[in-house]
Amino acid sequence: MSLSIDIHPTGKGSQRVTLAGRLDTHTYEDLDEALAPLMTRQLHSLVLDLSGLEYISSAGIRSIFKARKTLAPHGGKVLLVNPQPQIQKVLDMVKAVPLNEIFSSTAEADAYLDVMQRKVLRAGEEDDD
Amino acid sequence: MQMRLFIPREHARVDDLNASLEAVLANNGVSRAIQCDVRLIVEELASNAIEHGDPTRVGAEEHELCVDIGIREHLLTLEFRESGAAFNPLDQPPPDLDADILDRPTGGLGLHLVRQVAEEAAYQRIGNYNVLRLTLRIPTEESDA
Repeated sequence: MSLSIDIHPTGKGSQRVTLAGRLDTHTYEDLDEALAPLMTRQLHSLVLDLSGLEYISSAGIRSIFKARKTLAPHGGKVLLVNPQPQIQKVLDMVKAVPLNEIFSSTAEADAYLDVMQRKVLRAGEEDDD
Repeated sequence: MQMRLFIPREHARVDDLNASLEAVLANNGVSRAIQCDVRLIVEELASNAIEHGDPTRVGAEEHELCVDIGIREHLLTLEFRESGAAFNPLDQPPPDLDADILDRPTGGLGLHLVRQVAEEAAYQRIGNYNVLRLTLRIPTEESDA
């Protein structure tokens, strides 16, 4: 079994990508390639839906790091949704993702993004963030 | 159960090896979670050997990597045996997991995962071989829940 990558339509600077299968030495390049054209300056959040992802290795972790590094300079974030037990275990073992960037559902991630969005707008007005 | 597998020096074939290994583990009643742990260990160690091995010696017959897998009661043991220069994967410095995520080097993660997943790990240099013995506890039905 390999990796399936489903890229959803972009909306409001947010991009959802659903992954299923295995993200490892054999498939991480497919993900890197699929994400590359999405990584624009306008993208403030990349939401990776991991519900169907069964397995991740260090090669997959590096792909997530890479996406995060690409988005960070202009304030973009990578959010992870619903990691399954093996994925969560590996993420924990390498402290790959701050806990506040992992969500149990896309609805939860969307709610977080709304809050972030409002904060950014307010910071723009008051410059206090 | 006891078996020996030779680990190929090609990423693509490591996947095939893992597929057959998973089938054997499943037939022996090993849970999904432990199958994933074994897959992770084999993938990380094989990748490490492929990426850091001496390419001039990869084709040489004396340079080989194999793994003996044993299941006895509640323990699964993996013994990796590799010919070549002495290398203790357990001796490598751990990655800096407390550094800011954006500043962290991404190297060393694989071996770190291997050390974390294994319940016990021991390295020995035996003759011309690096021998790494890893033990995983196989949870019983009750403790797995």
